[in-house]
Amino acid sequence: MSSDNHDGGDPSLEALGDAIDIVTFGQILEMDDSEDDREFSQSIVFGFFEQAEETFDKMDEALEAKDLEELSKLGHFLKGSSATLGLTKVKDSCEKIQRYGKMENEDGTPEKDEELCLSRVTDTLASLKTEYTEAETALKKFFNASEP
Amino acid sequence: MPEGDMAVAQGSSNNSSDFVRKLYKMLEDPNYSEVVRWGDGGDSFVVLENEKFTKTILPKHFKHSNFASFVRQLNKYDFHKVRQSEENGQSPYGKEAWEFKHPAFRADAKNNLDNIRRKAPAPRKNQANDDQFSSNTQIAALSETLAATQQQVQALQDSYFEMAHANKVFVDEIMHLQKMIKAQNSVNNELVNHLGKLDHERRHARASSNHSHQYNGNNIMSDGTEEPPAELRRARDVLNSVSGDHIPEKDLRQMSIQFQQIGASPDSASSSSMMGPPGSAGMQNNYMHDPMNDLRHMVYPVGQTIGIDPFAAEHMGNIPYNRPLSQNAMGPGGPGPGPVPEAGPAAMPTASPPVGGAPGAQSTSPWGQKKPRVLLVEDDKICSRIGSKFLAQYDCGVEVARDGLEAVNKVNSNPSWFDLIFMDIVMPHLDGVSATAMIREVSPRVPIIAMTSNINQQDLEMYFHWGMRDVLAKPFTKEGMIGKLKKHLPSFLRNPPSDSVMEQMYSNGGAGQPPTPGPYANPNLSLPMSAASSGPIAKFETTPVQSPATSTSWHSPAQLPHASPNMAQDQGYLTAGSGNPMAMTPGGTQRPQQFVGGGMMPAMSGQQMGPIPDDGPPEKRQRLYGPGPQGPYA
Repeated sequence: MSSDNHDGGDPSLEALGDAIDIVTFGQILEMDDSEDDREFSQSIVFGFFEQAEETFDKMDEALEAKDLEELSKLGHFLKGSSATLGLTKVKDSCEKIQRYGKMENEDGTPEKDEELCLSRVTDTLASLKTEYTEAETALKKFFNASEP
Repeated sequence: MPEGDMAVAQGSSNNSSDFVRKLYKMLEDPNYSEVVRWGDGGDSFVVLENEKFTKTILPKHFKHSNFASFVRQLNKYDFHKVRQSEENGQSPYGKEAWEFKHPAFRADAKNNLDNIRRKAPAPRKNQANDDQFSSNTQIAALSETLAATQQQVQALQDSYFEMAHANKVFVDEIMHLQKMIKAQNSVNNELVNHLGKLDHERRHARASSNHSHQYNGNNIMSDGTEEPPAELRRARDVLNSVSGDHIPEKDLRQMSIQFQQIGASPDSASSSSMMGPPGSAGMQNNYMHDPMNDLRHMVYPVGQTIGIDPFAAEHMGNIPYNRPLSQNAMGPGGPGPGPVPEAGPAAMPTASPPVGGAPGAQSTSPWGQKKPRVLLVEDDKICSRIGSKFLAQYDCGVEVARDGLEAVNKVNSNPSWFDLIFMDIVMPHLDGVSATAMIREVSPRVPIIAMTSNINQQDLEMYFHWGMRDVLAKPFTKEGMIGKLKKHLPSFLRNPPSDSVMEQMYSNGGAGQPPTPGPYANPNLSLPMSAASSGPIAKFETTPVQSPATSTSWHSPAQLPHASPNMAQDQGYLTAGSGNPMAMTPGGTQRPQQFVGGGMMPAMSGQQMGPIPDDGPPEKRQRLYGPGPQGPYA
């Protein structure tokens, strides 16, 4: 999480802040051909932006339809990619949505109150979007900064 | 004289001395002195007149008149006839006299009479010994029988489970056949209707001579020049919908061969490794079986808890998932030079290290002669792109499937193509567990590794139950992924780890039989093994793979892949593959060939290849890559 482990190397990585797990994200950056050519990681990240926004739209729809099951699926879906990119907070919120959608509490115990689950999803989705925006901003900044 | 012995051995019957007392009493009677009396020394007695004695005295005292019988009796009491000739050459009592002697039978020692006992009858004594002896052998025989019976029960249990599974398969098959029959019926109906109509029309339209051919349904079907009428199309659709690559049928086939193996010679136990590939080569796109209608694949999610916490790091690499007997099928590639399977654990450390040669000297690839081909099954684009990039950078051939169905189709089209499969669990169309179960039908041994963040106990058990071999937790890391590769494909490594607990080698489906029926290839072992390779029914045993304690005979064959036969075989596959083994995902950003010769691989391999040959189990080795991802920033 902290960038202390990665002094030197790539100064612009510092700018990512704590929205992104640098070890995880660093693995993806490592896949780039060079630090000047971030084609791979950039395409991945921008692909993720698209995917995330689509998912948010679907989540909004599902929330309106009170479709908890669909919300759970969407939460699971976005959880995978956000985790792979190291967007820890986004991932955590997705996981919560996945659980609430399954009518579970955060610790995985069953929750019978459907309304409670829905309201939890509503709250979590709101913070998820905030967290996502934060990460998105940091990432865009990172990639713009590292353009030659 | 055996007096003491007799007293001990024959402690019975006071009345047996009645005879002696009668004898003594008889000798006390002075009226008989002309006929029978004590000897001169008082230590024997003499029958002087045989005839008289027999006729008058014997009946009085012994209720019979049979001298021979009297003598027999005396002999039984260990009286001996004193031989006349011994000293004087003639008896002092006359020629006809019979003198009898017993050491304890003396005129002056009436008290000693009790010491004169019937001799223990020798034959009876022997018989007693015989009894004891035979009861011992009987016990031994019984316990042998018991052991045999127990074994039999065990075998019966095993075969019962086999049967139970077989039964299930049969039921599935029957259901399918019934469906087929129904479909065939409706097809027939359609055909008949159509032909009838056609016939009717044509008969009216034109009176041509070749009409008669039209009665043949095949003729019409194969006649491409005619647009097939709706009925025919429908009929064909119905047929297609059921006649696809039907799984229970394959199950049946596999099973029947397994049954044969059990009945057959022990060394055929490994030949089920041949089962996956054959016959499935031509199945490219006929996988029309609808998995959703197949009850066997409604597996999500079930199971009971097992006693491990998958989130605990020490458990992740040590899950008791392995089905140990499947290693039987892993025997060496075939007869040839190199260590023989019987070499056993002791020979392992020396067997493997030399294969790779100097690390990093000639090539930058971590792999040996053949690079592994990995199938990455992942519906999420982000994850699959990253995953395949990781794999490609590690010099693997990578293909991507976007859901379980695509994965199944890819494997079906060439069951032995992939060396390892990473399988997401939650996917559209067909989930990873079901896909795994299906892949197991054609490719029983390819390592399938679940990639998921859903790892609670039930999930884990289910994954392993349906044929997965390991779990890669999501979000996966490069080290995690590469670690799994090396763990499950040790034989592909240029510098195979010397550690004998390395799980096993998962070579292509064509792995041959062991040159000799080793200790691991006996029919008993083949029972669970065949269960394992037939997938669903197999229970994963709780044998911890990593434990050195278990790395005995089962693991010895695992070591062999490092030897030359397999290398040769792997080359064979490489050439047989002929195409580009680095076939890439359609994404197209990967440029694997670049990494073979240069780029960042030298640095990586320099860092990684060094420690491997004498390193510990994969889990430990993984840690060596810790610095890996940080490299560029360090």
